[in-house]
Amino acid sequence: MDYVFHFGPILDRWPLLLWGLSRTLELSLVSMVFGLAIGILGAVAKSFGPRPVAALASAYVELIRNTPLLIQLYFIFFTLPFIGLRLSSDTAAIVALSIHLGAYATEIVRAGIESIPAGQIEAGKALGLSGRQIIRHIVIVPAIRAVYPALGGQFILQLLGSSIVSAIAAEELTAIANNLVMQTFRNFEIYIVVAVMYFVVVQAFIMLFRLGGRLLFRWKV
Amino acid sequence: MLRDFTFNEVYFLLLATRWTILLAVIAFVGGGLLGLVIAGMRVSPYAVLRRAAMAYIQFFQGTPLLIQLFMVFYGTAFIGLSPDPWTAAAITFIVNSAAFFGEIFYGSIESIPRGQWEISRALGFRFVPTLRLIILPQAFRLMLPPTVGFTVQIVKGTSVASLIGLTELARTATVINTVTFEPALVFGTVALIYFALCWPLSLLGASLERRLLVQKVRGGPLGKGAAASPAAAVAGPD
Amino acid sequence: MNRLSPGRLLAGLLAGLFVMVSLGLAPAQAVTTDEIISRGKVIIAIDTTTAPYGMVDTSMEPSGFDIDVAKLVGEALGVPVEFVTVTSPGRIPSLLTNRVDMVISIFSITPERALQVAFSIPYAGQSSVVLAPKSLDIAGPEDLVGLKVGVTRGTGEDGLLTKQAEKFPGIEILRFDDYASISQAMLSGQIDAMGGGDYGDMYLQKSVDGEDFELKYILKSFFFGIGVRKDSPELLQWLNTLVYSLKNDGTLNELSIEHRGAPLPELPVF
Repeated sequence: MDYVFHFGPILDRWPLLLWGLSRTLELSLVSMVFGLAIGILGAVAKSFGPRPVAALASAYVELIRNTPLLIQLYFIFFTLPFIGLRLSSDTAAIVALSIHLGAYATEIVRAGIESIPAGQIEAGKALGLSGRQIIRHIVIVPAIRAVYPALGGQFILQLLGSSIVSAIAAEELTAIANNLVMQTFRNFEIYIVVAVMYFVVVQAFIMLFRLGGRLLFRWKV
Repeated sequence: MLRDFTFNEVYFLLLATRWTILLAVIAFVGGGLLGLVIAGMRVSPYAVLRRAAMAYIQFFQGTPLLIQLFMVFYGTAFIGLSPDPWTAAAITFIVNSAAFFGEIFYGSIESIPRGQWEISRALGFRFVPTLRLIILPQAFRLMLPPTVGFTVQIVKGTSVASLIGLTELARTATVINTVTFEPALVFGTVALIYFALCWPLSLLGASLERRLLVQKVRGGPLGKGAAASPAAAVAGPD
Repeated sequence: MNRLSPGRLLAGLLAGLFVMVSLGLAPAQAVTTDEIISRGKVIIAIDTTTAPYGMVDTSMEPSGFDIDVAKLVGEALGVPVEFVTVTSPGRIPSLLTNRVDMVISIFSITPERALQVAFSIPYAGQSSVVLAPKSLDIAGPEDLVGLKVGVTRGTGEDGLLTKQAEKFPGIEILRFDDYASISQAMLSGQIDAMGGGDYGDMYLQKSVDGEDFELKYILKSFFFGIGVRKDSPELLQWLNTLVYSLKNDGTLNELSIEHRGAPLPELPVF
């Protein structure tokens, strides 16, 4: 039996797909901001924190990086209420995605910190900068600059990985696609359209990220 | 609830783990071989091959693994094929991880100094023998840590195959959750199993990376391109 | 020197892929009972995440109402059954791409689906209902305003409750991928009410807040048919005959009492 393509039912529902895309972007961007913040804190804790703090940061990184995001989502949404912490689908999705990205960002930023020559920090001390100033201006900013492309790669994986949060009823592009599949039974056509949408967004993100890097780091450092 | 979550259920989760491992091995071997071809194309002297490899990597890294899997599973119908979940998952994971392996291998090959290529050309070696006999053996140590790191991503990524009905670890967890309604126990156990699979690999990757850094500090035979952190490439589909 | 040329490697890989794809090809289209019998097995799509219709027993073998019906189909044809597990969205594609001979997996008969596949007369039926904790006073959709209601994506409950939510703004619909997830969301207190089957309360224990659950109101009655490809009228006619006979000799009623704890509802025919 031949499969006949019908794109009509999907094109009729463009506004829904665009809404799903905007949700995907929202979830990704918000969790990127939080994830990067967690990553910077984690990296500073791992590199400069006292032993127990560094160990805690390491445990967090290992735990998150070695279990699937899907299982982390289930845990935050279904299990935390049993200890009294009830998060809505969207909040749970953002928390899970941020914690997930935070673990990877910790390792990436830490690699950046390690690439900074010790002499540079000594120079900062000699100039009379405070510990906080040194960490901010001499460690964090150059470290992020050094690992900027790696962070970009991780952000893209975050954008693509957000496709599984529909498992806890958060609505985004893949969830909308699955809803449309159930209404129209046009599995393949819908997944083609959605793949193209993800692809376009990822390419646009790569361009913006490069542009951002040029603007950010031209005048800083 | 139809029955309790007991050691019987844990046993079946452990049994299902072999399918997760098998799928990861298929993705690693198939994706590794295909990734080598992609990386070879990426550094080949022919612009057409280079561009094809770049497009390949761009496509598979630019769309979600889940959507790729749906396209192979549901989408091959229009050319008259209907792969079962295993075949669809094997093909998807091979072609997807090949893109990531291709990028990792390419990065390592690129960090071998250009002069090596020129010398072997001067010695009369052609492209493929140069790559195979001179460049790859040197690049091998560089590509090892990110390759091991990416393998962790492959193991975790196999959980996505549950969404086309392949009964691996994550799907078995859902099936057991359906009759026990004990998600904390079921998914906690599953998280532990994934952790037990992935953590040794992560440790191995990290230790390989440290050894590489030590060699570099001691002034190993690596070019300055090798300074790019291999950690940067440890990222993959989830 | 040229043993490992990229061209040969690529060709080898493509050949390998081709073999894998061919092995994965569905068997020849089985459109008649004769073809199934001469092939020596009947391939039936089921879903083991839809208790009590499809699930697994303590040795992880498929079990449940649908699975028992599938076994009866195999017995009547005199051939063993090969089970193929599918997800809910995978049911229609599994038929259209020749992966299976038929689908027996809480496949509600609807005119929209019947544009793609053909249904036998119903072998089982149940009502879609709204379930909620006893403490909540819910008699109809108007009482759901301001509450979170969980449904399984794309099921009958999803369609009906989505329509009610359009009529009564303020009902928040949360769509999950399977029944275990909504039941779990209910127990975790993540949703206030859920759409489900009329057997649903037998799976819900006390929630995290110590609440008991009960059936609040009935949305609609659904009937499950066996799905086949549209080009198999002879197979469809045979399945109708089989369902008719299993219904009349009381077999289906016994299965309903065994798996759902309730007698078989009145099944309409077409």
